[in-house]
Amino acid sequence: MTHRRVVVVFVSALGAMGAGRVPPAAAQRSGQWTMPAGDYAATRYSTLTQITTANATRLHPVWSFSTGVLAGHEGQPLVVNNTMYVVTPYPNVLYAFDLTREGYPLKWKYRPAVDPNAVGIACCDVINRGAFYAEGRIVYNLLDGHTVAIDATTGKELWNARIADVSQGETTPMAPLVVKNRVLVGASGGEFGIHGWLKALDLATGRPVWTAYTIGPDSEVLVRAGVFRPFYGGGTDLALTSWPQEVWKNGGGPVWGWLSYDPSLDLVYYGVGNPAPYNPEQRPGDNKWTASVLARRPADGALVWAYQFTPHDSWDYDATAEMILADLTIGGRLRRVLVHFDKNGFAYTLDRATGEVLVARPFVDVNWAKGVDLATGRPVLDSTRLTGASRGNVKDVCPTLEGGKSPASPAAYSPRTGLFYVPTNNMCMDYQAVPATRIAGTPFIGANTPYHAGRGGHLGAFIAWDAGVGRKVWEIREKYPVWSGALTTAGDVVLYGTLDGWLKAANARTGTVLWKFKVGSGVVANPITYAGPDGKQYVAVYAGIGGDWFLLAGDVRSDDPADVRPPADFMPDIARHTSQGGIVWIFGL
Amino acid sequence: MASRPLVRVTAPIALLLLGVGCRERRSVPPAGGYEEHLSAGGLAPPTAELRNPHARDKRSAADGATLFTAMNCDGCHGGGGAGWVGPSLADGRWRYGGTDGALFQSIFDGRPHGMPAFGGILSPDAIWKLVTYVQSLEPPADVPTERWP
Repeated sequence: MTHRRVVVVFVSALGAMGAGRVPPAAAQRSGQWTMPAGDYAATRYSTLTQITTANATRLHPVWSFSTGVLAGHEGQPLVVNNTMYVVTPYPNVLYAFDLTREGYPLKWKYRPAVDPNAVGIACCDVINRGAFYAEGRIVYNLLDGHTVAIDATTGKELWNARIADVSQGETTPMAPLVVKNRVLVGASGGEFGIHGWLKALDLATGRPVWTAYTIGPDSEVLVRAGVFRPFYGGGTDLALTSWPQEVWKNGGGPVWGWLSYDPSLDLVYYGVGNPAPYNPEQRPGDNKWTASVLARRPADGALVWAYQFTPHDSWDYDATAEMILADLTIGGRLRRVLVHFDKNGFAYTLDRATGEVLVARPFVDVNWAKGVDLATGRPVLDSTRLTGASRGNVKDVCPTLEGGKSPASPAAYSPRTGLFYVPTNNMCMDYQAVPATRIAGTPFIGANTPYHAGRGGHLGAFIAWDAGVGRKVWEIREKYPVWSGALTTAGDVVLYGTLDGWLKAANARTGTVLWKFKVGSGVVANPITYAGPDGKQYVAVYAGIGGDWFLLAGDVRSDDPADVRPPADFMPDIARHTSQGGIVWIFGL
Repeated sequence: MASRPLVRVTAPIALLLLGVGCRERRSVPPAGGYEEHLSAGGLAPPTAELRNPHARDKRSAADGATLFTAMNCDGCHGGGGAGWVGPSLADGRWRYGGTDGALFQSIFDGRPHGMPAFGGILSPDAIWKLVTYVQSLEPPADVPTERWP
């Protein structure tokens, strides 16, 4: 048959106070893992020292558990009070494993009623990015636009709050962040023409406290005179006047990535996703605050500063990747910075108090822009890579809309080595924009974007990055895109998983691979480490290929005999190495 | 900045969409059964059988292909119906049956796990053109086996 394989990519979300209470900052030091990135700074760094570059070769599996779910297993477990908490993809089961007993039997499991209609509204598989532990509660999002708080001891549902509207294209796979009794949550839907937002719920009740839209008038974006001080430009209603009339109401700007928090500045940081639709000619203007980082006060949501990485994004370059907070010496000065590896291929080092761009250098091959002008903060565009329905098929744009790095795959930072550890993709795309019509409850996309391998032919690499100067220090090339998150430790070990199903440990200083183990399915999750009740250090990770690879590599599917798809043409053999399947793994020495 | 219309509907699509919003009130008989169902006692339930009035008509299939894009079907089922977040429509396999009536029903009333009902915004004739398009997609010769060198 003539197979018109068009890749339309989306990428392209109380009670028990005393006993279970662990302050987040102290938790990590005690060998627990209480929040998605391990700490508020989003470092995914552990101070545990038992696993080292000298003994990592002795890592071996000590336990595994099938989640019973086949969809992509993104996110990471939590470990609190000798209990491991695992959230599955839809239908979003929460498992609580007792780490003090042989075989880690379940203490309880919580099986919520999740609207199956959300399955068809989730752009890119029915993934979940994890839970947050706070005040004796496990807080996480269900795919169908609900946030729940579960008693960490008993498994009882404490509250269940509707936060999003599936009928408008909103789904909620992202992991919440809890700051000062505020549960911060956002929704996916950049491919469905949503009007993106971040909400704060009361931790005790789930009731909404504030809603901050990413697009619209200052009153909805929570821009207040005297509070909002962007480093570049300024003015009123920027998120309204940078759009055509009415178009902004379906302009996307979803919040589905990771949040971080600086207690000393009392600012929450998060990235905003793509503008909708992918055809940029339907939305002239900068399209603020899509493809941007926002800094807000958690108490009232007020916007303090904002910076747009990709103005008038024409390549689906969501900025939803994590914002890692670190203190780095730059130009001889110690700076409080935020480091961000954007889908657009640039690694940004920003002053996190002001939003000033200190360093912006490509961490993968980039050709849509020649660089970033530090005086204006704006990218210097290559006009031959601009897209739009009137421009036809624009060939060979690097990176692809999967990103130079996937926002789903967070990087890690070690204060010992001063390096950032980054999963990357080495792919380029053709981008054929077409006019798109918004019909509520259906996709609102407007581009066909097939991929091909970048320079060198390998599709991914795991790299170490010096964010003070913007330089790659080492890299481990991978045959496939690297879609797992990174973990690094005080033992100078860094861990990551591969799409063909290996979990690998490498020397954080040299990039030498020390150990690897085939975990049964491709890894799109984020490894964590913790100290068990026996005082020993363990590593945990999910296997379970999915996410965008559910779409791109249709032949890794195994659960539906009424759906047989051809392989992805840019990596026709991935299904030779992996199939679907959700497994929780624990490794020890 | 100048405002511009969000939707630029081309003339052929506008013609196809005639009837949108003025659908015939349930002039379509229910056709819930499909051939893959087992019937208790070996007796199929009595049900109306829907026939595609445009079956195998190339022009209707082409109109259906235009609608497939215009109604964002490709956003879930992929270009050419090859499968994306929604299942493949080009592999010759069906979750809810591949008869005329079963396909019509899937589009008109929607299906569980996210297939929206289009019967509210598309006329039955436009749905039949979509059915004609989907039925025109030729499955590959060897669906069950994938082999590597």
